[in-house]
Amino acid sequence: MGLQRVFVTGIGIVSSIGNDVQTVVDSLRSLKHGFEAFTPQNASIPSQVKLAGTVKGFDVSSPDFEDWTLPAPYRIRRDVMRSLPPHGPYVHVSMAQAIESAGLEEPDISNLDTGIYTSSGGSTRLIHQNTTRLHQLGPMRCPPTGIVASIAGTLSFNLVAQFKIRGNSCGFSSACASSGHAMGFAYDDIALGRQKRMFVAAGEDLNDESLLPFSGMRALSLESDPALASCPFDRRRNGFVSTGGGAVLVLESEEEVLRRGVTPYAEVLGWGQASDGHNVAMSHPEGVGLVEAMQRALRSASLDASQVDYINAHATSTLVGDLSEGRAIKEVFGKQGHGPRVSSTKALTGHGLSLASALEASIVSLSLKERFTPGSAHIRELDPEFEGVNVIRETLDEGPRIALSNSSGFGGANVSLVLKKV
Amino acid sequence: MSEQTTKPNQHARPAEQSADDLLKESLKRCSPETIKAALAFRQSGDVSLVPTVVLGIIERFLEPEVVDTLKDGDDSVKFMEDLGMDSLTMFEAIMMVEESLGVSIKNEELWDLRTVGDLKAFIAAKLSGVEVDAKAKSYPIEQIAAVMPQQEPFLFLQAAEIDGPKAKGTYKISGKEAFLAGHFKNNPVFPASIMLEALGQLGVFHFLSTDEAALESVGDSIFFTGADGVRCSRVCKPGDTLELSVELKRRRDPMVVYSGKITVGGEKAATAEEITLIVAPAEETPAKA
Repeated sequence: MGLQRVFVTGIGIVSSIGNDVQTVVDSLRSLKHGFEAFTPQNASIPSQVKLAGTVKGFDVSSPDFEDWTLPAPYRIRRDVMRSLPPHGPYVHVSMAQAIESAGLEEPDISNLDTGIYTSSGGSTRLIHQNTTRLHQLGPMRCPPTGIVASIAGTLSFNLVAQFKIRGNSCGFSSACASSGHAMGFAYDDIALGRQKRMFVAAGEDLNDESLLPFSGMRALSLESDPALASCPFDRRRNGFVSTGGGAVLVLESEEEVLRRGVTPYAEVLGWGQASDGHNVAMSHPEGVGLVEAMQRALRSASLDASQVDYINAHATSTLVGDLSEGRAIKEVFGKQGHGPRVSSTKALTGHGLSLASALEASIVSLSLKERFTPGSAHIRELDPEFEGVNVIRETLDEGPRIALSNSSGFGGANVSLVLKKV
Repeated sequence: MSEQTTKPNQHARPAEQSADDLLKESLKRCSPETIKAALAFRQSGDVSLVPTVVLGIIERFLEPEVVDTLKDGDDSVKFMEDLGMDSLTMFEAIMMVEESLGVSIKNEELWDLRTVGDLKAFIAAKLSGVEVDAKAKSYPIEQIAAVMPQQEPFLFLQAAEIDGPKAKGTYKISGKEAFLAGHFKNNPVFPASIMLEALGQLGVFHFLSTDEAALESVGDSIFFTGADGVRCSRVCKPGDTLELSVELKRRRDPMVVYSGKITVGGEKAATAEEITLIVAPAEETPAKA
């Protein structure tokens, strides 16, 4: 049996630029960012970070999960909420949206041929909260769900149990490439006939503990003007703006798409990954890992570089990261005389770490379906380093036919996904 | 750690906060009566306040739709079956009970607390310093399957309770038992011989669970060897739950003798005056066919 074709049939998004697919599309079309002023919840922490990609409508700021609130009409039972990290409600809502948009019924979700791959960095806030309590009151006074709510596999534990998933499940942890890996391996499982349907679910907290440590790495922009703070490819970019949220995609085999008679958002043609072998936190200056990841992605999809007409870049607005991605794109495309459109939607959403790749794969799927190409916002002066890269600054009313979505994580992990218009 | 009010994202427990304040904080989602009773208990140690505190804490963890089941029910209300609590919710509630009443409950004690009455009696006994009554001990299917030589598809015991020389058990006839296809043709009736077997299995379980040495030495060399005075008085069919009970009559090694009875919904289904098991010491076990 040859490879099964794989389609994106459902999408759910809770993000700084919208808590549903339509609002996200509108924000991308009008280049509306999702940033608001940020001050640490613990006012005694000295901080120079002024902006964050906030998630609106949810309040998960309390240390007590029973205080958390969700926007109507969503509700989560107490015995489900208690084992969730602060980003759990975002992902639960995204999951509900994805299931609805894919038109899945319960028997479609809970069976041996349907699995879930997740990515989340866990919740450093909850780990801090629980270990503080451990030191003060001992283990017998700590919440029994403290571990499953906080460690990096938390989304898998919770979603598998809550949605009665019976097929493959696993959590991916490669920092900002995590959900790219989750997408890639979910694609493989369907393409190889191991599963018929996979959920890819990703999420991140947005709070003092998730955000501020990146300021210690000098990775965050300290600007207060959103246009100056998150401006991938701009000459004066100086760091990223952090965001949290949730994104869920439903991937299905062609057989399932035909059997259920649904119209997919996009087709996943393949993917590639490769590593830099260079530095624990910085990307390789020439983007060697990303070059290889994109070339492998093209080979896996049996495509020539000339056939790609849009790249959703990883570019987070850091000096080094954007530069190496620009060089990698030139290596794979520019040097062969191809100029696919390039943009980074992180200019609007902010950078959601483990969430990033799933959010951007969703955005790319939406652009393929809704026929638009999101622009790279907030560029006042394109860094001359990106001359020869076709960075588009405005959203175009013309959708791509074949698009790449790039992601790079700590340690130089790189993933490139290939999506095609249906 | 002095600005506790400005540190909402930490479980700040500053030393200057009084014990009562800490308790109020822990019980903040309980009813005012519960908090009042817990604080009063701290002062007086009055055991009559225990039910109010315990029930108030249980209620606080329930989904709205089952609160009335607790409020209108009596001591027989079951935490898991009737109130939909799982073991994690039990841990949460117990932790709060422990903190409120200053008791500590061991994991193995927790497994035996199945009903509201169990919990109230247990805590009251703990607080009054009286040894907890040697009450019936319940065993879920996992524990039964772990000690029994009989296994699926020939295990006719799904839950058991042991109380001194007596044991009770249940088996629900699913209708999927393979032998029902032929007993009888187009008319599934649970065979009387299997009903007797089920009583024998309950006897085996009682024997293995009450004689610690037995578990080690006999392993799987315990056999059904005799039945006397057997009467079957009711046809049992799929959907029926057999309520099994046996009582130890005498033990004269290597023989153990039980009397046994089966009811369905309280209605007598079968009785056996004597069921005899023979326990072969491990070294004398005949080679199995």
